[in-house]
Amino acid sequence: MSILAMQRGLVALLALSAAASSPTATQGEPGGVPKVSSLFPKIEGWKISDGPTSYTPETLFEFIDGGAESFLHFDFQDLASATYVQDAVRRGDNRKSSRALQGSSSAGAGKVELTVDIYHHRDALRAFGMYTQERPAGTAPLPVGVEGYAGPDYLEFVVGPYYVKLLQSGGKGQSVLRPFADKLAAGLPGTREPPAVLQVFPDRGKRVRAEKLAARDFLGQSFLHDAVAVPYQIAGASFRLFVVEGKDSADVRTMVQRYRALAKAAGAGADAVGPQGSATVKDPLNGEVVLQWKGRWLWGAVDQSCAERQALVDELGRNLSVLDK
Amino acid sequence: MNKTKKLERRDFLKLGASGLAAGALSASCATVASKQGETTVSPQAAQPPVSAPAAEPAPAKSAKSPRRMLGRTGIQVPIVSMGVMNADNPNLVRAALDGGIFLLDTAHGYQDGRNEEMLGTVLKDRKRDSFVLATKVHLSTLDRKTGLFSKETRGEEIEEKLDISLKRLGLDQVDILHLHNQSAREGALYPPVLKALEKAKRDGKARFLGLSTHKNEPEVIRAAVEAKLYDVVLTSYNFRQDHHLEVQKAVAEAAQAGLGIVAMKTQAGVYWDTAKRSPINMTAALKWALRDPNVHTAIPGFTTFDQLQTDLAVLRDPTLTDDEKRSLEAPKLVGFFCQGCGQCLDPCLAKLPIPDLMRSFMYAHAYRNREAAQALLLELGLPESPCGDCDECPVRCAKGFDVRQRVRDIVRLRGVPREFLG
Repeated sequence: MSILAMQRGLVALLALSAAASSPTATQGEPGGVPKVSSLFPKIEGWKISDGPTSYTPETLFEFIDGGAESFLHFDFQDLASATYVQDAVRRGDNRKSSRALQGSSSAGAGKVELTVDIYHHRDALRAFGMYTQERPAGTAPLPVGVEGYAGPDYLEFVVGPYYVKLLQSGGKGQSVLRPFADKLAAGLPGTREPPAVLQVFPDRGKRVRAEKLAARDFLGQSFLHDAVAVPYQIAGASFRLFVVEGKDSADVRTMVQRYRALAKAAGAGADAVGPQGSATVKDPLNGEVVLQWKGRWLWGAVDQSCAERQALVDELGRNLSVLDK
Repeated sequence: MNKTKKLERRDFLKLGASGLAAGALSASCATVASKQGETTVSPQAAQPPVSAPAAEPAPAKSAKSPRRMLGRTGIQVPIVSMGVMNADNPNLVRAALDGGIFLLDTAHGYQDGRNEEMLGTVLKDRKRDSFVLATKVHLSTLDRKTGLFSKETRGEEIEEKLDISLKRLGLDQVDILHLHNQSAREGALYPPVLKALEKAKRDGKARFLGLSTHKNEPEVIRAAVEAKLYDVVLTSYNFRQDHHLEVQKAVAEAAQAGLGIVAMKTQAGVYWDTAKRSPINMTAALKWALRDPNVHTAIPGFTTFDQLQTDLAVLRDPTLTDDEKRSLEAPKLVGFFCQGCGQCLDPCLAKLPIPDLMRSFMYAHAYRNREAAQALLLELGLPESPCGDCDECPVRCAKGFDVRQRVRDIVRLRGVPREFLG
């Protein structure tokens, strides 16, 4: 069973179990996946003051402009956005949120507002993939859902197929993000485990929490999809190890074939592609790319070379066999 | 299309390789005057435009591509630029720069800032006058539904975000700073925001100011003219907009008033249908926007080298052919659309992926998008002779397609060199 399939199964199971035990069950879509707009819980001390407002792949541009493109690459399904306001403050401030009027005031001096955006992707791997696209390098991980990170006025995390963004305004420097995020995450269905494929990358020289997933167009090549790349730094050399998960062996062979055809156009040779093998492709735009493949896996290295790199590629290949068991 | 004008794949590959090896190309000025403000550029012809930077960005070696003056900014821009928004591969940006696409458009918020950081890794190796960098700042107090700013709007937010963007990009100054996503006249003219933008320019952090709009564009474009502050407008503009004639009119007024016009969303959603089975002819869609001489450049987003190659070909020759023009007419699916029932799969002795082949046939003949048709064919990994030794085809299509004839027709496209597909 593929990583994607395993994760989809796990997500579906968790979604079903969560749906059965939560008020969202009756509002669920076919297949037990709750509507994203129903995922905003009642949290003590807070009330929803605005929303949830939903966006689809067709309307996401209205919400985040050109930034929508990246989300669509990771098979974005839908988004719901809502604003929470602290209950006590809201009781003392009966005005309806009036941000719609330019020049009007929507918040009292001490008012704390939390904007919560829940992005729903096709599966947990793609949600995590989009998260890795936006995660800043060097931030400390937070144990919220699969993983999260935070700044002074924001906190972002991923749970199952959901990528969640919290933005706080007001509060005079007192962050309320973490306890809120914990409560929100607890009600979201889906896996809390990072993608299994991340475990197969060797530890030596690995830059932690710097992996990036690409649902498509890996290395700028339209034929390479569902890839994970992890940066390494060893003996002054910087390179990436990567794993591409094909749909099956034929899919992987097609990828290799097309990569070789590209290299051939640049002057290299192209041989027949068997179910298992290795090659070094002179990618005219990414430089030398080391490839190995077996079954539905294609893995290798790109960027700077060093003596240790090939050993790591071999180790990566051995580790991948664990995922087939 | 004149085949000799298209960038050949082999040339493109060489270009990319040399670009990677060489790093930054040296800057050289080059303009040759022609009608409608468009210039054809070659490295040999050196004549800096009035009020242009000391040295203009360098086009690729041996490349000749039209440029247009970006309004009163005086910058000669390539007619095709790069919307970087979802590209995360620095090598792709390098290849674009080396190919002559030297205006890069990003935003403070794209990929939560990672997009600007990625650009920073590329730009640090380039001469500052070899590229034009545009970014956008979105204000958190903008109500997206109404396009109005709330009372809490702080002009300082623009400066704070711009400072972060400059740090990520590794620059002291951006060439164009856009106020992101304006959809109402009042928003585009909101005094505290205008004041903050003006300050950014006065402080030397932005050479020119602009705004972006993809809703109520005509109203916003006219407000940009009215403000007498903005130098550039970045607007949605494509052949599928119901109101594209209104946008066209507003764009003409703005260009007449001296604003630079940058078109976005020229690819009009990329697909005709929500199921994403019917791709729009990207080449034709981009050329459609560039047909308007008041559009000075367009910023298609691309994430693959194939897409870059397509855009580079348009950069060299933006002429919209009659065939391409027809491809932008809403397709008549009757007679082409395979419903994917799969009834054909079992009877086929060669076990061909017939629904996919019918889709490829549709791309080629209904959408006149032979590049998409060929790409799909190559992905299918078909045997050399797909129908093998079958004398008679046992497949009976539920929609009555002559499957055998269509398969035989479409598979021939596999061997057609890409440069002949346009």
